[in-house]
Amino acid sequence: MAKEIWVLAEHQEGKVKGITFELLSGSIEFSKQTGQKVAAILLGSGLEEATKSLIPFADKIYLLENPLLSPYTSDAYESALLPLLKEHEPSIFLGGATSTGKDLFPRLAMHLETGYAPDCTELSVNEEGRLTIKRPLFGGKVFAEMVFSEARPQMATVRNHTFLIRENPGRSAEVLPIPTRLDPSSLKKRVIHLEKSPGARLDITEADIVVAAGRGIKGPENFKLIEDLAEVLNASVGTTRAVVDEGWRDLKDQIGKSGKNISARLYMAFGISGAIHHILGIGTCKTIVAVDTDPNALIFNYADYGIVGDLFKIVPALTEELKRVLAS
Amino acid sequence: MDIFVLVKQVPDPEATIRIKTDTELEIENKYFTNFFDEIAIEAALRLKEKFGGKVTVLTVDHRRVDALRRGISMGADEAVQIADPALEGSDPFAIARILTAYLKDKPFDLILAGRQAMDDDSGIVGIALAEALNIPHVHSIIGLEVDPSKKEAKVIREVENGKEHLTCPLPALFTCQKGLNTPRIPLVMNVMKAMKAQIKKVDSASLGMEPNKVGSSSLQVKVLRYLPPPKRPPVKMIKEDYPENVKILVRLLREEAKVL
Repeated sequence: MAKEIWVLAEHQEGKVKGITFELLSGSIEFSKQTGQKVAAILLGSGLEEATKSLIPFADKIYLLENPLLSPYTSDAYESALLPLLKEHEPSIFLGGATSTGKDLFPRLAMHLETGYAPDCTELSVNEEGRLTIKRPLFGGKVFAEMVFSEARPQMATVRNHTFLIRENPGRSAEVLPIPTRLDPSSLKKRVIHLEKSPGARLDITEADIVVAAGRGIKGPENFKLIEDLAEVLNASVGTTRAVVDEGWRDLKDQIGKSGKNISARLYMAFGISGAIHHILGIGTCKTIVAVDTDPNALIFNYADYGIVGDLFKIVPALTEELKRVLAS
Repeated sequence: MDIFVLVKQVPDPEATIRIKTDTELEIENKYFTNFFDEIAIEAALRLKEKFGGKVTVLTVDHRRVDALRRGISMGADEAVQIADPALEGSDPFAIARILTAYLKDKPFDLILAGRQAMDDDSGIVGIALAEALNIPHVHSIIGLEVDPSKKEAKVIREVENGKEHLTCPLPALFTCQKGLNTPRIPLVMNVMKAMKAQIKKVDSASLGMEPNKVGSSSLQVKVLRYLPPPKRPPVKMIKEDYPENVKILVRLLREEAKVL
Protein backbone atom coordinates (compact mmCIF):
# COMPACT_ATOMS: atom_id res chain seq x y z
CA MET A 1 0.00 0.00 0.00
CA ALA A 2 1.40 3.33 -1.02
CA LYS A 3 1.89 5.46 2.03
CA GLU A 4 0.04 8.73 2.25
CA ILE A 5 0.88 12.40 2.68
CA TRP A 6 -0.95 13.74 5.72
CA VAL A 7 -1.78 17.28 6.69
CA LEU A 8 -3.07 18.21 10.15
CA ALA A 9 -6.13 20.40 9.55
CA GLU A 10 -6.31 23.41 11.85
CA HIS A 11 -9.55 25.21 12.39
CA GLN A 12 -10.98 28.06 14.37
CA GLU A 13 -14.67 28.59 15.08
CA GLY A 14 -15.55 25.82 12.62
CA LYS A 15 -13.53 27.23 9.73
CA VAL A 16 -10.38 25.61 8.35
CA LYS A 17 -7.38 27.93 8.47
CA GLY A 18 -5.42 29.21 5.49
CA ILE A 19 -2.26 27.35 6.48
CA THR A 20 -4.09 24.02 6.09
CA PHE A 21 -5.22 24.83 2.53
CA GLU A 22 -1.65 25.95 1.77
CA LEU A 23 -0.19 22.67 3.05
CA LEU A 24 -2.78 20.61 1.17
CA SER A 25 -2.01 22.58 -2.01
CA GLY A 26 1.71 21.82 -1.56
CA SER A 27 0.92 18.17 -0.85
CA ILE A 28 -1.13 17.87 -4.04
CA GLU A 29 1.97 19.05 -5.92
CA PHE A 30 4.08 16.40 -4.13
CA SER A 31 1.51 13.69 -4.85
CA LYS A 32 1.90 14.31 -8.58
CA GLN A 33 5.55 13.32 -8.23
CA THR A 34 5.11 10.38 -5.86
CA GLY A 35 1.68 9.00 -6.76
CA GLN A 36 0.75 9.07 -3.07
CA LYS A 37 -2.67 10.02 -1.78
CA VAL A 38 -3.19 13.25 0.14
CA ALA A 39 -5.14 13.06 3.40
CA ALA A 40 -6.42 15.82 5.66
CA ILE A 41 -6.55 14.86 9.34
CA LEU A 42 -9.41 16.67 11.00
CA LEU A 43 -10.02 16.49 14.76
CA GLY A 44 -12.60 18.22 16.93
CA SER A 45 -16.36 18.44 17.14
CA GLY A 46 -18.99 20.16 15.00
CA LEU A 47 -16.85 19.75 11.89
CA GLU A 48 -19.43 19.75 9.10
CA GLU A 49 -18.45 23.03 7.48
CA ALA A 50 -14.75 22.29 7.93
CA THR A 51 -15.10 18.86 6.32
CA LYS A 52 -16.99 20.27 3.35
CA SER A 53 -14.36 22.94 2.70
CA LEU A 54 -11.56 20.34 2.71
CA ILE A 55 -13.13 17.94 0.19
CA PRO A 56 -11.64 19.53 -2.99
CA PHE A 57 -8.18 19.68 -1.36
CA ALA A 58 -7.59 16.02 -0.46
CA ASP A 59 -8.15 12.41 -1.55
CA LYS A 60 -9.15 11.38 1.95
CA ILE A 61 -10.31 13.06 5.12
CA TYR A 62 -9.75 11.17 8.34
CA LEU A 63 -12.42 12.59 10.60
CA LEU A 64 -11.84 12.19 14.34
CA GLU A 65 -14.85 13.56 16.20
CA ASN A 66 -15.09 13.76 19.96
CA PRO A 67 -16.12 16.67 22.20
CA LEU A 68 -12.88 16.17 24.15
CA LEU A 69 -10.95 17.21 21.02
CA SER A 70 -12.43 20.69 21.17
CA PRO A 71 -10.72 23.00 21.94
CA TYR A 72 -7.26 21.68 21.01
CA THR A 73 -5.02 20.29 23.72
CA SER A 74 -1.85 18.33 23.00
CA ASP A 75 -3.04 15.60 25.41
CA ALA A 76 -6.25 14.88 23.56
CA TYR A 77 -4.84 15.26 20.05
CA GLU A 78 -1.91 13.01 20.87
CA SER A 79 -4.12 10.29 22.35
CA ALA A 80 -6.36 10.37 19.30
CA LEU A 81 -3.61 10.58 16.68
CA LEU A 82 -1.03 8.05 17.88
CA PRO A 83 -3.12 4.93 17.13
CA LEU A 84 -4.00 6.30 13.68
CA LEU A 85 -0.38 7.20 12.90
CA LYS A 86 0.80 3.74 13.99
CA GLU A 87 -1.86 2.01 11.91
CA HIS A 88 -1.32 3.94 8.68
CA GLU A 89 2.37 4.90 8.91
CA PRO A 90 2.05 7.86 6.56
CA SER A 91 5.07 8.84 4.51
CA ILE A 92 4.83 12.53 5.37
CA PHE A 93 2.93 14.40 8.09
CA LEU A 94 2.79 18.19 7.79
CA GLY A 95 1.42 20.80 10.15
CA GLY A 96 1.55 24.57 10.41
CA ALA A 97 4.37 26.26 12.32
CA THR A 98 1.58 27.54 14.53
CA SER A 99 0.70 27.45 18.21
CA THR A 100 -0.86 24.02 17.53
CA GLY A 101 1.74 22.49 15.21
CA LYS A 102 4.77 23.59 17.20
CA ASP A 103 3.08 22.33 20.39
CA LEU A 104 1.99 18.92 19.12
CA PHE A 105 4.57 17.71 16.59
CA PRO A 106 7.60 17.42 18.93
CA ARG A 107 5.58 15.13 21.24
CA LEU A 108 4.39 12.92 18.39
CA ALA A 109 7.86 12.70 16.82
CA MET A 110 9.49 11.86 20.17
CA HIS A 111 6.93 9.11 20.75
CA LEU A 112 7.24 7.65 17.25
CA GLU A 113 11.05 8.07 17.25
CA THR A 114 10.86 9.68 13.86
CA GLY A 115 12.29 12.81 12.24
CA TYR A 116 10.75 16.25 12.70
CA ALA A 117 11.85 19.58 11.22
CA PRO A 118 10.20 22.70 12.66
CA ASP A 119 9.42 26.04 11.02
CA CYS A 120 10.25 25.06 7.42
CA THR A 121 10.21 27.68 4.67
CA GLU A 122 10.74 25.40 1.65
CA LEU A 123 9.90 21.74 1.04
CA SER A 124 10.37 19.30 -1.83
CA VAL A 125 10.07 15.55 -2.38
CA ASN A 126 11.83 13.16 -4.74
CA GLU A 127 10.06 10.32 -6.61
CA GLU A 128 10.50 7.93 -3.68
CA GLY A 129 8.71 10.45 -1.49
CA ARG A 130 11.77 11.47 0.49
CA LEU A 131 11.36 14.93 1.92
CA THR A 132 13.98 17.69 1.77
CA ILE A 133 13.34 20.94 3.62
CA LYS A 134 14.92 24.30 4.22
CA ARG A 135 14.63 26.09 7.54
CA PRO A 136 16.13 29.23 9.05
CA LEU A 137 18.64 28.96 11.90
CA PHE A 138 19.96 31.68 14.20
CA GLY A 139 16.82 33.69 13.54
CA GLY A 140 17.39 33.58 9.77
CA LYS A 141 21.10 34.44 9.51
CA VAL A 142 21.69 31.00 7.99
CA PHE A 143 19.42 28.42 6.36
CA ALA A 144 19.85 24.66 6.59
CA GLU A 145 18.87 22.31 3.80
CA MET A 146 17.97 19.05 5.52
CA VAL A 147 16.92 15.59 4.44
CA PHE A 148 14.97 12.91 6.34
CA SER A 149 16.28 9.42 7.17
CA GLU A 150 14.32 6.18 6.64
CA ALA A 151 12.04 6.68 9.66
CA ARG A 152 8.39 7.44 8.87
CA PRO A 153 6.44 9.61 9.00
CA GLN A 154 8.66 12.49 7.94
CA MET A 155 7.24 15.26 10.08
CA ALA A 156 7.53 18.98 9.51
CA THR A 157 5.84 22.18 10.55
CA VAL A 158 5.72 24.86 7.88
CA ARG A 159 5.50 28.63 8.01
CA ASN A 160 2.44 30.47 6.77
CA HIS A 161 2.55 31.47 3.07
CA THR A 162 5.22 28.90 2.12
CA PHE A 163 2.79 27.42 -0.43
CA LEU A 164 0.12 29.24 -2.42
CA ILE A 165 -3.44 28.00 -2.07
CA ARG A 166 -4.47 26.32 -5.35
CA GLU A 167 -7.43 27.88 -7.11
CA ASN A 168 -8.53 24.53 -8.54
CA PRO A 169 -7.20 21.80 -6.27
CA GLY A 170 -9.29 19.27 -8.23
CA ARG A 171 -9.55 16.49 -5.67
CA SER A 172 -12.67 15.00 -4.16
CA ALA A 173 -12.02 13.48 -0.78
CA GLU A 174 -13.59 10.38 0.60
CA VAL A 175 -14.61 11.15 4.20
CA LEU A 176 -13.53 8.42 6.63
CA PRO A 177 -14.95 8.81 10.14
CA ILE A 178 -12.58 7.22 12.67
CA PRO A 179 -14.24 6.13 15.92
CA THR A 180 -12.33 8.08 18.57
CA ARG A 181 -12.79 7.15 22.21
CA LEU A 182 -10.88 9.16 24.77
CA ASP A 183 -10.65 8.56 28.49
CA PRO A 184 -11.33 11.94 30.14
CA SER A 185 -9.27 10.94 33.20
CA SER A 186 -6.18 10.46 31.03
CA LEU A 187 -6.38 14.04 29.74
CA LYS A 188 -4.46 16.23 32.12
CA LYS A 189 -4.66 19.72 30.69
CA ARG A 190 -7.94 21.59 30.63
CA VAL A 191 -8.64 24.78 28.71
CA ILE A 192 -10.70 27.02 30.98
CA HIS A 193 -11.30 29.79 28.52
CA LEU A 194 -9.94 31.64 25.54
CA GLU A 195 -9.38 35.32 26.08
CA LYS A 196 -9.90 36.46 22.51
CA SER A 197 -7.81 39.26 21.07
CA PRO A 198 -9.90 42.37 20.47
CA GLY A 199 -10.82 43.06 16.86
CA ALA A 200 -11.22 40.67 14.00
CA ARG A 201 -7.71 40.88 12.58
CA LEU A 202 -5.65 37.76 11.88
CA ASP A 203 -2.49 37.10 13.87
CA ILE A 204 0.56 38.76 12.24
CA THR A 205 1.96 35.30 11.41
CA GLU A 206 -1.20 34.45 9.45
CA ALA A 207 -2.00 37.72 7.70
CA ASP A 208 -1.26 38.16 3.99
CA ILE A 209 -0.37 41.79 4.56
CA VAL A 210 1.25 43.23 7.68
CA VAL A 211 1.75 46.96 8.28
CA ALA A 212 3.96 47.99 11.18
CA ALA A 213 5.32 51.03 12.92
CA GLY A 214 8.34 51.44 15.17
CA ARG A 215 9.36 54.07 17.64
CA GLY A 216 9.13 56.66 14.84
CA ILE A 217 5.37 56.69 15.50
CA LYS A 218 6.14 58.68 18.67
CA GLY A 219 3.29 57.47 20.85
CA PRO A 220 0.62 54.76 21.21
CA GLU A 221 -2.19 57.11 20.18
CA ASN A 222 -0.63 57.57 16.72
CA PHE A 223 -1.10 53.89 15.87
CA LYS A 224 -4.56 55.00 14.74
CA LEU A 225 -2.87 56.03 11.46
CA ILE A 226 -1.49 52.51 11.00
CA GLU A 227 -4.82 50.94 12.00
CA ASP A 228 -6.59 53.01 9.34
CA LEU A 229 -4.14 51.85 6.69
CA ALA A 230 -4.56 48.25 7.87
CA GLU A 231 -8.31 48.60 7.55
CA VAL A 232 -8.07 49.53 3.86
CA LEU A 233 -5.66 46.68 3.11
CA ASN A 234 -7.35 44.12 5.38
CA ALA A 235 -3.92 43.83 6.95
CA SER A 236 -2.74 43.06 10.48
CA VAL A 237 -0.69 45.51 12.53
CA GLY A 238 2.79 44.61 13.76
CA THR A 239 5.46 46.47 15.66
CA THR A 240 8.99 46.38 17.05
CA ARG A 241 10.51 45.30 20.33
CA ALA A 242 11.20 48.93 21.31
CA VAL A 243 7.50 49.79 20.99
CA VAL A 244 6.40 46.73 22.99
CA ASP A 245 8.98 47.50 25.67
CA GLU A 246 7.55 51.04 25.88
CA GLY A 247 4.18 49.42 26.54
CA TRP A 248 2.58 51.06 23.50
CA ARG A 249 1.45 47.79 21.88
CA ASP A 250 0.74 44.22 22.97
CA LEU A 251 3.51 41.64 22.88
CA LYS A 252 1.52 39.49 20.45
CA ASP A 253 2.18 42.08 17.73
CA GLN A 254 5.97 42.09 18.13
CA ILE A 255 7.94 41.10 15.03
CA GLY A 256 11.52 39.86 15.41
CA LYS A 257 13.82 37.62 17.31
CA SER A 258 12.12 37.73 20.70
CA GLY A 259 8.71 38.07 19.03
CA LYS A 260 7.29 36.47 15.90
CA ASN A 261 8.72 35.64 12.50
CA ILE A 262 6.38 36.67 9.73
CA SER A 263 6.20 35.54 6.10
CA ALA A 264 3.70 38.07 4.79
CA ARG A 265 3.13 38.58 1.06
CA LEU A 266 3.47 42.32 1.68
CA TYR A 267 5.15 43.91 4.69
CA MET A 268 5.20 47.69 5.18
CA ALA A 269 7.46 49.23 7.85
CA PHE A 270 6.96 52.83 8.99
CA GLY A 271 9.42 54.58 11.27
CA ILE A 272 11.37 51.37 11.81
CA SER A 273 15.13 51.80 11.58
CA GLY A 274 15.79 48.10 11.15
CA ALA A 275 17.58 46.66 14.18
CA ILE A 276 18.91 43.17 13.46
CA HIS A 277 16.32 41.71 15.88
CA HIS A 278 13.56 43.09 13.68
CA ILE A 279 15.16 42.29 10.31
CA LEU A 280 15.52 38.62 11.30
CA GLY A 281 11.76 38.42 11.82
CA ILE A 282 10.84 39.63 8.30
CA GLY A 283 13.44 37.75 6.22
CA THR A 284 10.90 35.50 4.50
CA CYS A 285 8.37 38.22 3.60
CA LYS A 286 7.83 38.44 -0.16
CA THR A 287 7.68 42.22 -0.72
CA ILE A 288 8.95 44.74 1.82
CA VAL A 289 8.22 48.48 1.82
CA ALA A 290 10.11 50.81 4.18
CA VAL A 291 9.37 54.44 5.03
CA ASP A 292 11.71 56.27 7.39
CA THR A 293 13.03 59.80 7.83
CA ASP A 294 16.64 58.58 8.08
CA PRO A 295 18.09 57.88 4.62
CA ASN A 296 20.73 55.65 6.25
CA ALA A 297 18.21 53.48 8.15
CA LEU A 298 19.28 49.82 7.91
CA ILE A 299 15.78 48.76 6.95
CA PHE A 300 16.37 50.13 3.43
CA ASN A 301 19.03 47.44 2.88
CA TYR A 302 16.33 44.79 3.19
CA ALA A 303 13.40 46.53 1.53
CA ASP A 304 12.15 46.20 -2.05
CA TYR A 305 10.73 49.72 -2.10
CA GLY A 306 11.87 52.62 0.06
CA ILE A 307 10.74 56.17 0.69
CA VAL A 308 12.74 58.62 2.78
CA GLY A 309 10.01 60.66 4.39
CA ASP A 310 7.77 61.49 7.28
CA LEU A 311 5.34 58.71 8.14
CA PHE A 312 2.89 61.26 9.53
CA LYS A 313 2.47 62.62 5.99
CA ILE A 314 2.98 59.39 4.02
CA VAL A 315 0.69 57.01 5.92
CA PRO A 316 -2.51 59.11 5.67
CA ALA A 317 -1.79 59.87 2.00
CA LEU A 318 -1.18 56.18 1.33
CA THR A 319 -4.43 55.25 3.05
CA GLU A 320 -6.35 57.74 0.90
CA GLU A 321 -4.61 56.67 -2.31
CA LEU A 322 -5.30 52.99 -1.61
CA LYS A 323 -8.95 53.73 -0.79
CA ARG A 324 -9.26 55.48 -4.14
CA VAL A 325 -7.39 52.86 -6.17
CA LEU A 326 -8.83 49.75 -4.55
CA ALA A 327 -12.38 51.07 -4.86
CA SER A 328 -12.09 51.50 -8.62
CA MET B 1 8.77 23.11 45.30
CA ASP B 2 11.58 21.37 43.47
CA ILE B 3 12.12 22.98 40.10
CA PHE B 4 14.55 22.15 37.31
CA VAL B 5 15.30 24.84 34.71
CA LEU B 6 16.77 23.85 31.34
CA VAL B 7 19.28 26.46 30.20
CA LYS B 8 21.63 26.97 27.28
CA GLN B 9 24.36 29.37 26.27
CA VAL B 10 23.66 30.49 22.68
CA PRO B 11 25.25 32.86 20.15
CA ASP B 12 24.36 36.49 20.77
CA PRO B 13 21.98 37.89 18.10
CA GLU B 14 24.85 40.22 17.08
CA ALA B 15 27.31 37.32 16.59
CA THR B 16 28.51 36.66 13.04
CA ILE B 17 27.68 33.23 11.67
CA ARG B 18 29.86 32.14 8.74
CA ILE B 19 29.34 29.11 6.54
CA LYS B 20 32.72 27.38 6.69
CA THR B 21 31.96 24.29 4.63
CA ASP B 22 28.66 22.81 3.39
CA THR B 23 27.98 21.20 6.74
CA GLU B 24 30.03 23.33 9.10
CA LEU B 25 29.37 26.74 10.60
CA GLU B 26 31.84 29.13 12.17
CA ILE B 27 30.21 31.05 15.00
CA GLU B 28 31.77 34.19 16.40
CA ASN B 29 32.69 33.71 20.05
CA LYS B 30 29.96 36.00 21.40
CA TYR B 31 27.55 34.03 23.53
CA PHE B 32 24.83 34.87 26.02
CA THR B 33 22.32 32.97 28.10
CA ASN B 34 19.32 32.22 25.92
CA PHE B 35 16.85 35.08 26.37
CA PHE B 36 13.86 32.78 27.03
CA ASP B 37 15.85 30.63 29.49
CA GLU B 38 16.42 33.66 31.71
CA ILE B 39 12.66 34.13 31.81
CA ALA B 40 12.36 30.47 32.90
CA ILE B 41 14.98 30.97 35.63
CA GLU B 42 13.14 34.08 36.87
CA ALA B 43 9.82 32.19 36.98
CA ALA B 44 11.43 29.38 39.00
CA LEU B 45 13.02 31.81 41.46
CA ARG B 46 9.72 33.61 42.05
CA LEU B 47 8.00 30.30 42.86
CA LYS B 48 10.84 29.37 45.24
CA GLU B 49 10.61 32.75 46.97
CA LYS B 50 6.87 32.24 47.44
CA PHE B 51 6.71 28.56 48.38
CA GLY B 52 10.25 27.53 49.35
CA GLY B 53 12.08 24.58 47.78
CA LYS B 54 15.00 24.31 45.42
CA VAL B 55 15.88 25.55 41.94
CA THR B 56 18.39 23.55 39.90
CA VAL B 57 19.68 24.84 36.58
CA LEU B 58 20.61 22.14 34.09
CA THR B 59 22.48 22.28 30.79
CA VAL B 60 23.65 19.74 28.20
CA ASP B 61 26.86 21.24 26.87
CA HIS B 62 30.42 20.04 27.27
CA ARG B 63 31.95 23.41 26.40
CA ARG B 64 29.98 26.20 28.02
CA VAL B 65 28.73 26.54 31.59
CA ASP B 66 28.05 30.31 31.54
CA ALA B 67 24.29 29.78 31.45
CA LEU B 68 24.59 27.76 34.66
CA ARG B 69 26.63 30.53 36.27
CA ARG B 70 24.05 33.05 35.14
CA GLY B 71 21.39 30.93 36.86
CA ILE B 72 23.42 30.71 40.08
CA SER B 73 24.08 34.46 40.07
CA MET B 74 20.35 35.09 39.72
CA GLY B 75 19.66 32.83 42.72
CA ALA B 76 19.47 29.18 41.64
CA ASP B 77 20.60 26.71 44.32
CA GLU B 78 22.37 24.11 42.23
CA ALA B 79 23.85 23.70 38.78
CA VAL B 80 24.26 20.50 36.78
CA GLN B 81 26.21 20.14 33.55
CA ILE B 82 25.67 17.05 31.45
CA ALA B 83 28.89 16.99 29.49
CA ASP B 84 30.33 14.39 27.18
CA PRO B 85 32.13 14.72 23.85
CA ALA B 86 30.00 11.73 22.71
CA LEU B 87 27.02 14.09 22.70
CA GLU B 88 28.54 16.26 19.94
CA GLY B 89 26.18 16.49 16.97
CA SER B 90 23.08 15.53 18.99
CA ASP B 91 19.79 16.93 17.77
CA PRO B 92 17.08 18.24 20.13
CA PHE B 93 15.51 14.76 20.41
CA ALA B 94 18.83 13.24 21.53
CA ILE B 95 19.23 16.07 24.05
CA ALA B 96 15.72 15.28 25.32
CA ARG B 97 16.68 11.59 25.68
CA ILE B 98 19.76 12.54 27.71
CA LEU B 99 17.72 14.83 29.94
CA THR B 100 15.14 12.07 30.36
CA ALA B 101 17.85 9.67 31.51
CA TYR B 102 19.03 12.22 34.06
CA LEU B 103 15.63 13.33 35.33
CA LYS B 104 13.57 10.14 35.30
CA ASP B 105 14.41 9.13 38.88
CA LYS B 106 14.66 12.62 40.34
CA PRO B 107 11.84 14.14 42.36
CA PHE B 108 10.50 17.40 40.95
CA ASP B 109 7.30 19.41 40.83
CA LEU B 110 8.07 21.46 37.76
CA ILE B 111 10.48 21.71 34.85
CA LEU B 112 10.80 25.10 33.15
CA ALA B 113 12.54 25.87 29.86
CA GLY B 114 12.70 28.68 27.34
CA ARG B 115 10.25 28.75 24.43
CA GLN B 116 13.14 27.95 22.10
CA ALA B 117 16.91 28.34 21.98
CA MET B 118 18.07 31.24 19.85
CA ASP B 119 20.45 29.07 17.82
CA ASP B 120 18.55 26.39 15.94
CA ASP B 121 15.22 27.96 17.01
CA SER B 122 13.67 24.47 17.18
CA GLY B 123 11.53 24.60 20.32
CA ILE B 124 11.71 20.81 20.62
CA VAL B 125 13.78 19.81 23.67
CA GLY B 126 11.33 20.79 26.41
CA ILE B 127 8.25 19.32 24.74
CA ALA B 128 10.03 16.09 23.75
CA LEU B 129 11.34 15.73 27.31
CA ALA B 130 7.79 16.06 28.67
CA GLU B 131 6.69 13.31 26.29
CA ALA B 132 9.49 10.99 27.37
CA LEU B 133 8.82 11.67 31.07
CA ASN B 134 5.11 11.16 30.43
CA ILE B 135 4.15 14.48 32.01
CA PRO B 136 1.97 17.23 30.52
CA HIS B 137 3.53 20.35 29.04
CA VAL B 138 2.30 23.80 28.06
CA HIS B 139 4.29 25.61 25.37
CA SER B 140 5.03 29.34 25.26
CA ILE B 141 3.43 30.48 28.52
CA ILE B 142 2.93 34.14 29.39
CA GLY B 143 1.21 33.59 32.74
CA LEU B 144 1.84 31.17 35.61
CA GLU B 145 0.25 30.62 39.02
CA VAL B 146 0.91 27.54 41.10
CA ASP B 147 -1.21 26.05 43.86
CA PRO B 148 1.21 23.66 45.61
CA SER B 149 -1.45 22.20 47.91
CA LYS B 150 -3.58 21.14 44.93
CA LYS B 151 -0.49 20.26 42.89
CA GLU B 152 -1.91 22.29 40.06
CA ALA B 153 -0.84 25.22 37.91
CA LYS B 154 -2.91 27.82 36.11
CA VAL B 155 -1.12 28.94 32.97
CA ILE B 156 -1.78 31.26 30.07
CA ARG B 157 -0.44 30.42 26.66
CA GLU B 158 -0.29 32.49 23.51
CA VAL B 159 -2.37 31.29 20.58
CA GLU B 160 -3.07 33.00 17.25
CA ASN B 161 -6.41 34.50 18.19
CA GLY B 162 -5.78 35.31 21.84
CA LYS B 163 -4.66 33.98 25.17
CA GLU B 164 -5.62 30.51 26.28
CA HIS B 165 -6.11 29.94 30.01
CA LEU B 166 -5.47 26.36 31.13
CA THR B 167 -5.15 24.28 34.25
CA CYS B 168 -2.46 21.65 34.38
CA PRO B 169 -1.64 19.16 37.16
CA LEU B 170 1.94 18.96 38.45
CA PRO B 171 4.51 17.65 37.82
CA ALA B 172 4.57 19.34 34.43
CA LEU B 173 6.90 21.11 32.02
CA PHE B 174 6.29 24.66 30.80
CA THR B 175 8.23 26.56 28.15
CA CYS B 176 8.44 30.28 28.82
CA GLN B 177 7.77 33.18 26.47
CA LYS B 178 8.53 36.88 26.68
CA GLY B 179 5.84 38.61 28.73
CA LEU B 180 5.85 36.05 31.57
CA ASN B 181 8.22 38.23 33.62
CA THR B 182 11.24 40.52 33.45
CA PRO B 183 14.33 38.59 34.55
CA ARG B 184 16.28 40.16 37.42
CA ILE B 185 19.77 41.53 36.87
CA PRO B 186 22.07 39.70 39.28
CA LEU B 187 24.10 41.73 41.80
CA VAL B 188 27.80 42.04 40.99
CA MET B 189 28.60 40.29 44.28
CA ASN B 190 26.48 37.31 43.23
CA VAL B 191 28.08 37.23 39.80
CA MET B 192 31.48 36.95 41.53
CA LYS B 193 30.21 34.18 43.80
CA ALA B 194 28.72 32.31 40.84
CA MET B 195 32.13 32.26 39.14
CA LYS B 196 33.37 30.05 41.96
CA ALA B 197 30.21 28.02 42.50
CA GLN B 198 30.42 24.25 42.33
CA ILE B 199 28.98 22.76 39.14
CA LYS B 200 28.02 19.11 39.25
CA LYS B 201 29.27 17.32 36.15
CA VAL B 202 27.54 14.24 34.74
CA ASP B 203 28.66 12.19 31.72
CA SER B 204 26.39 10.26 29.39
CA ALA B 205 27.86 6.83 30.20
CA SER B 206 26.86 7.21 33.84
CA LEU B 207 23.32 7.88 32.60
CA GLY B 208 23.32 4.55 30.77
CA MET B 209 22.81 6.16 27.36
CA GLU B 210 23.29 3.81 24.44
CA PRO B 211 25.83 5.43 22.10
CA ASN B 212 23.51 5.12 19.06
CA LYS B 213 20.79 7.13 20.86
CA VAL B 214 22.87 10.30 21.03
CA GLY B 215 25.28 12.24 18.85
CA SER B 216 25.26 12.49 15.09
CA SER B 217 24.52 8.77 14.56
CA SER B 218 21.05 9.23 16.08
CA LEU B 219 19.86 11.93 13.67
CA GLN B 220 16.58 11.40 11.79
CA VAL B 221 16.93 14.68 9.88
CA LYS B 222 20.40 15.54 8.60
CA VAL B 223 21.88 18.77 7.30
CA LEU B 224 22.80 18.43 3.62
CA ARG B 225 24.22 21.91 3.51
CA TYR B 226 24.04 25.32 5.09
CA LEU B 227 22.99 28.20 2.88
CA PRO B 228 23.07 31.97 3.18
CA PRO B 229 19.63 33.58 3.49
CA PRO B 230 17.92 34.07 0.11
CA LYS B 231 19.26 37.27 -1.45
CA ARG B 232 16.84 40.15 -1.68
CA PRO B 233 16.88 42.29 -4.82
CA PRO B 234 18.37 45.78 -4.32
CA VAL B 235 16.00 48.37 -2.91
CA LYS B 236 14.20 50.70 -5.28
CA MET B 237 14.16 54.14 -3.60
CA ILE B 238 11.24 56.30 -4.67
CA LYS B 239 12.82 59.75 -4.84
CA GLU B 240 9.92 61.79 -6.16
CA ASP B 241 8.47 64.46 -3.87
CA TYR B 242 5.46 64.00 -1.65
CA PRO B 243 2.68 63.28 -2.54
CA GLU B 244 3.83 61.95 -5.93
CA ASN B 245 5.97 59.28 -4.16
CA VAL B 246 2.87 57.78 -2.53
CA LYS B 247 1.10 57.41 -5.89
CA ILE B 248 4.20 55.81 -7.40
CA LEU B 249 4.52 53.37 -4.50
CA VAL B 250 0.92 52.23 -4.92
CA ARG B 251 1.41 51.81 -8.66
CA LEU B 252 4.59 49.75 -8.16
CA LEU B 253 2.91 47.54 -5.58
CA ARG B 254 0.05 46.86 -7.98
CA GLU B 255 1.83 46.63 -11.31
CA GLU B 256 5.37 45.48 -10.52
CA ALA B 257 5.20 43.54 -7.25
CA LYS B 258 1.56 42.56 -7.95
CA VAL B 259 0.76 42.29 -4.26
CA LEU B 260 -2.34 44.47 -4.24
